Amino acid sequence: MTTLRNFGRRSIGVAAVLCAACSLQVTNPGPIQDSQLNAVSAVPALVNGMSGDLSYALGNYVDRGGLASGEMTEAGNYSAEQQYWFGIIRPDDVNPDWAAMQQARWSAENGIERMKSVLGANFEKNVDTPRAYLYAGFANRLLGENVCTGVIDGGPAQSDTVYFVRAESLFTRAYTIATALANTNVANAALGGRASVRAWQGNWTAAVADAALVPNAFVYNAIFSTNSARENLDMAVQTISRREVTVFGTVYATISKTDPRTPWDTVKAGTAIQTGQDGKTKFFQQKKYTSLGSPVPLVKGADMLLMRAEAALRAGDLAGMTTLINAARATWTGLTPLTAPATVAAGWTMLQAERGSALWLEGRRLWDLRRWNAEGTNTFLTGRSKCVPVSTNERASNPNPMPAP
Amino acid sequence: MAQAFSSRWTRLIAAAILAVPALGHAQGGATISGTVSERGSNTPLERAQVSIVGTANAVASDAKGGFTLRGVDAGTVTVRAQYIGYEAREQVVQVAANGTVRVNFALSRTAVTLSGVMVTATGEERRRSVGTAMATVDTAQIERSAATNTQQLLAGSTPGVTVLANGGQPGAGATVRLRGVNSVSMGNSPLIYVDGVRVYGGNTPTNVGGRQFSSPLNDIAAEDIDHIEIVKGPAATTLYGTEASGGVLQIFTKQGVEGAPRWNLSVTSGYNNMGHVGPASDTTGLFLNSCAGVHTIGDGTKFQDATCPASGSWLSNGPIQRTAISVRGGSANGTTYDLSVTGNNERGVLPVGGSYVRSFRVNLGFKPAKGFTLSFNQSYVNNRSVGFPDGNSSNGVMLNISRGSGSNFKGPGCTDLTVTCVLNDSLFTSQVTSSTNHFVTGATLAYQPFDAWTTRLTLGLDYNNADIQYITPFGHLRVPLGQMYQTLWTRQFLSADLASTYRKQIATNWSSSTAVGGQVFENKVYSTDLQSDNFAGPGDPTLLSGALKQITGVSQQRVINAGYFAQETIGWRDVLFVTIGARADGNSAFGKSFGIQTYPKISASYVISDESFWPRSIIETLKLRGAIGDAGKAPGAFDAVRTWSPVAAEAGKPAFSTNQIGNPDLGPERTREIELGFDASAFNGRVNLQYTHFDQHTYKALIPVQQAPSLGFAGSQLINAGDLMNSGHEVQLNLDVFRSRNLDVSTRIGFMKLHSEAGNVGNGPLTIFALGRTYVVQGLPIPTYYGPKVMNPNDFANPVIQQNQDLGSAFADRIWTPGISVKLFRSITVDAQGEWQLGGHNLNALAYQNANLNSWQPCFNAQDQMRKAVAGDSSGLATINALDRARCTINTKIARDYGFFVEANDFFKLRSVSVTYDLPKSILRFGARSGSLAFAGRNLFTSTNYSGTDPEVSDQRDDQFARRDYYVFPTSRSFTMTLRLGF
Repeated sequence: MTTLRNFGRRSIGVAAVLCAACSLQVTNPGPIQDSQLNAVSAVPALVNGMSGDLSYALGNYVDRGGLASGEMTEAGNYSAEQQYWFGIIRPDDVNPDWAAMQQARWSAENGIERMKSVLGANFEKNVDTPRAYLYAGFANRLLGENVCTGVIDGGPAQSDTVYFVRAESLFTRAYTIATALANTNVANAALGGRASVRAWQGNWTAAVADAALVPNAFVYNAIFSTNSARENLDMAVQTISRREVTVFGTVYATISKTDPRTPWDTVKAGTAIQTGQDGKTKFFQQKKYTSLGSPVPLVKGADMLLMRAEAALRAGDLAGMTTLINAARATWTGLTPLTAPATVAAGWTMLQAERGSALWLEGRRLWDLRRWNAEGTNTFLTGRSKCVPVSTNERASNPNPMPAP
Repeated sequence: MAQAFSSRWTRLIAAAILAVPALGHAQGGATISGTVSERGSNTPLERAQVSIVGTANAVASDAKGGFTLRGVDAGTVTVRAQYIGYEAREQVVQVAANGTVRVNFALSRTAVTLSGVMVTATGEERRRSVGTAMATVDTAQIERSAATNTQQLLAGSTPGVTVLANGGQPGAGATVRLRGVNSVSMGNSPLIYVDGVRVYGGNTPTNVGGRQFSSPLNDIAAEDIDHIEIVKGPAATTLYGTEASGGVLQIFTKQGVEGAPRWNLSVTSGYNNMGHVGPASDTTGLFLNSCAGVHTIGDGTKFQDATCPASGSWLSNGPIQRTAISVRGGSANGTTYDLSVTGNNERGVLPVGGSYVRSFRVNLGFKPAKGFTLSFNQSYVNNRSVGFPDGNSSNGVMLNISRGSGSNFKGPGCTDLTVTCVLNDSLFTSQVTSSTNHFVTGATLAYQPFDAWTTRLTLGLDYNNADIQYITPFGHLRVPLGQMYQTLWTRQFLSADLASTYRKQIATNWSSSTAVGGQVFENKVYSTDLQSDNFAGPGDPTLLSGALKQITGVSQQRVINAGYFAQETIGWRDVLFVTIGARADGNSAFGKSFGIQTYPKISASYVISDESFWPRSIIETLKLRGAIGDAGKAPGAFDAVRTWSPVAAEAGKPAFSTNQIGNPDLGPERTREIELGFDASAFNGRVNLQYTHFDQHTYKALIPVQQAPSLGFAGSQLINAGDLMNSGHEVQLNLDVFRSRNLDVSTRIGFMKLHSEAGNVGNGPLTIFALGRTYVVQGLPIPTYYGPKVMNPNDFANPVIQQNQDLGSAFADRIWTPGISVKLFRSITVDAQGEWQLGGHNLNALAYQNANLNSWQPCFNAQDQMRKAVAGDSSGLATINALDRARCTINTKIARDYGFFVEANDFFKLRSVSVTYDLPKSILRFGARSGSLAFAGRNLFTSTNYSGTDPEVSDQRDDQFARRDYYVFPTSRSFTMTLRLGF
């Protein structure tokens, strides 16, 4: 037994020496713990993140939304993009877009609540607060204009109009606080955003009132950059770095390629027109975005003028509509005024074409086509998918039943 | 010349070894010498262990089976000789002081032996007292397998071991499972010990372009391995502690033996070869076997590949050249050495691709003082693999070539100007490389001051680094400005392992063996992912070459695991043994709330064949055994915490973005296993049967569950989602069918049956990989394919599709491993080993994608008939069944689903065939004492109904738990000729 006791003592002693020589502290630098964001000093980066998430969601969706709405033609071999172009938007193919749009919405809305807690009484005095509301509003508008079903924070399926309701409230808060802080830029953007979601809810009177307050030359952009891949505008990646989508085969290829709203050009390989990545579709390169860091407008005066023009058309005022359309055209250089159409039907044709050109490749066209299709003034989406369904990942993880795609 | 070379190097090495005389222990006393050979054939057994029972005095036999034990105390001693695959023998001899005694051993071959010891967490334990299944891959198996690495060795080696190759990318690592799956998220790879040193058992990061990982496990050259002990299941691995629920592989490399230096040279030449690729009905082999001329895909689009090689095929034989040189020996004072150098160059079967491995190993043994043994084991491996873009990569080989006209690489140069012209050789301009360095060093000090007490301390360092690159050069057809990805990865594993055993006869018929010990492991990983885009011009780029440079990922983790164990074995009359033990572990990865986890075990073994009533004349050995034990796995560092990623936004401004949603209720998972079985040997060792039933239950299983993206976090989150049940049967039957002087025929067959089932996971499927249709579903195997299914696949009618259906288990649930070995005229050995996996499935995503692009040949007819139907002629549709109508649909309104492409991947593969001729001494030259010539082949034949390229493959960047065959290049076969010479 003595031997056994000695043996035990020695073993324990050696083990103790071994353990004393090492720290048992785990280290894993890099990921930022949630609690570390609860600081006033973290607020600017938090709001920058809201902006970044919104740009990421919009920038990645622009090309697929453009394919689904006839703004671009698929010229590559991406299976999902081909389906979009065919007019088929499947839950399997929307996982990244659905997730990015929801992330942009959640991070902004959650960030606002965190800022309230962190900033306390200074919340509405903080220069970043109106920006946060603005990004939350645009994130909701992006969802409302493009997805088929409203889903909030893992909750049940509801009408997609829920996003417009939330966006209107958020834009109102952004406008109010920005005005109080004399931030005209954000205030105008909030007015523009609110005008659009008010219109989409059928409140054209209020929409026009907001839109009229936005200067014609005003532009508020989603920011992209060549600084990092996440900040790149994917439409530019797919048409500058690659040849995955083309203007060829779209209605915009029939418009003068020097139209400042829808610029494009052919790319030659020797004397022949370059083809897309599929090797057979002619590659007409869009020239609206000339850099991977080109911005994408979220609100602009021309959009507001065309919204007012649409309100005029809905009121049967063709002359008023034309005046506003021409005012929108005047925000670009080189476009001549149009003459008023003779009929309301012709007015719709004119307005839809003008709106298509003015908002080309900005992720807005699918919604316009969808609402016009529902009202019977446009047939492009007839027989095609009209919106982005709930993604496969949301269906697989949300415990609530989701509507069939 | 060869002798001079040998002599010079021998002297140098001997001088180096003997230059450490302080470590040598001058030994007096008596000497026991003799030989060890195989009973019947009298073949000398090299590296048999001969020892004085109850002491640390042990040596290994030399190439002639000779041994010499020195320093033997005078009196009556028991000498034991043991060798893996043979029944150990003991002889009692009387030795006089300073006298010399000669003892010869003839060992009988047997697959089941209860004599000798096996290495466990507590050190060496007597085989007869171990209450769990024991499996060993022995030297003979290694030599006849024609394997070049550990994972190839393990494939089909023993029941319970599953090895899936993952892909044919040069240097690609395999997925290894012992007894299936008992963890969803924390890995099922076994722990790896090499010569007692714990080494990293995981894989390198996957290459962005190649989409496969490398396995450091494969860095151990097969030529260096003496044997592998396979410890399966938590009941056996409890004392190894946290992380051990996936089992343990104990790899032992060749050690030095006392005596003059013995040189061994092995030279292998051969080639890799690829047979037909893809469905047999596709005569072009997905345009890989045949690329010349104009081809037509299903919609009538014609194409030509202007860059198709002159041979008319992208495939060619890839040469293999391997060399291994080793020397082993030792001095009379107990100093031994084994040094080896290996080189392995082999090319793949595509225009680019190859694997280039250099390894160096030094194993030294000393007896510095009476009762002490000291061993140093060092190895260094440099491995450079050159691959090609593969899998789910836009530049991938399979993705582009198999799509025909849909290749992403198009351009001018075709002779037929009316067809789509593709330039697929452009995809080989991308560089997919992985350069790894793997260094392992370990020192083990064993102290046995007297018979009863043994203490062993092992200190080890396992260091891996990898430089993984994927370069798309400037001027590339798809990415004209070029792009570079680089991952710099270092993983360091430091370990200290102390174990002590005290044995005592506590009463008549009663014995006790008490073991205690502890381990500390430090696991560090540093990994940085870098990206560079838009090179200024041609040339070999670096990360600085791009206009846009990014750090896309950084991981720097340090995790500590410390644990202690205690075990008591009580023996009764040396036939019944009951073992009780427990392990307590602390793991810093989970923070303070994890606390100390305790894993208990109890086992029993009953050598009933040693009872007097047992009819030994028929069944000479029978051991009954049973065990129950726990093992567990901790979540990773900060897996429970909600985290955000630092990103750039608004043109380079600092920003936060959501990363991981977090789960504050996260806890460790624990697996409990009950194991019952027996080991039997009958008819003088001619019939050997081992049977084991195991039943594993994992509680609070950690499962990465896709979170609703509307919660703001796109990824998945670990949750303790339920229970995993995993049970099965393992049978190994070895038969010596015929034994004679000139003909020796033995067969072996292993069988494993698995039953895997998820429990308490809720009503809905838990998503593992949605695009792989892989889920954890209540009552179904883990993981399972799940989703829409064509309910009337063989009906000649429109498909009836139902959602949320069980599409089949991802992993096989029955594995047969038949083998045969025939020895002719004592000099020619023919061996074959097969593996038959049943019950598994794979998702043929290549077919899914290519069917969509009209380039999946099995859909050509169906799609042709559908087009005719659209044009008004539906007559041909009558010959198209519902499954093909769903898989091959051209109607864009009908969703083609991945679920329709989940296929049974049952397969039989002839893993190895070898013919070895032991060269007669009369033809040996240059001083060679022994020699053999072996012709071998691996993966020579595959039989499967799976329509993809290879039933085993899976894109490892998609998901490493789920399996999806997404344009993965298949594994090739190899033919080699090996000359082995001993000097």
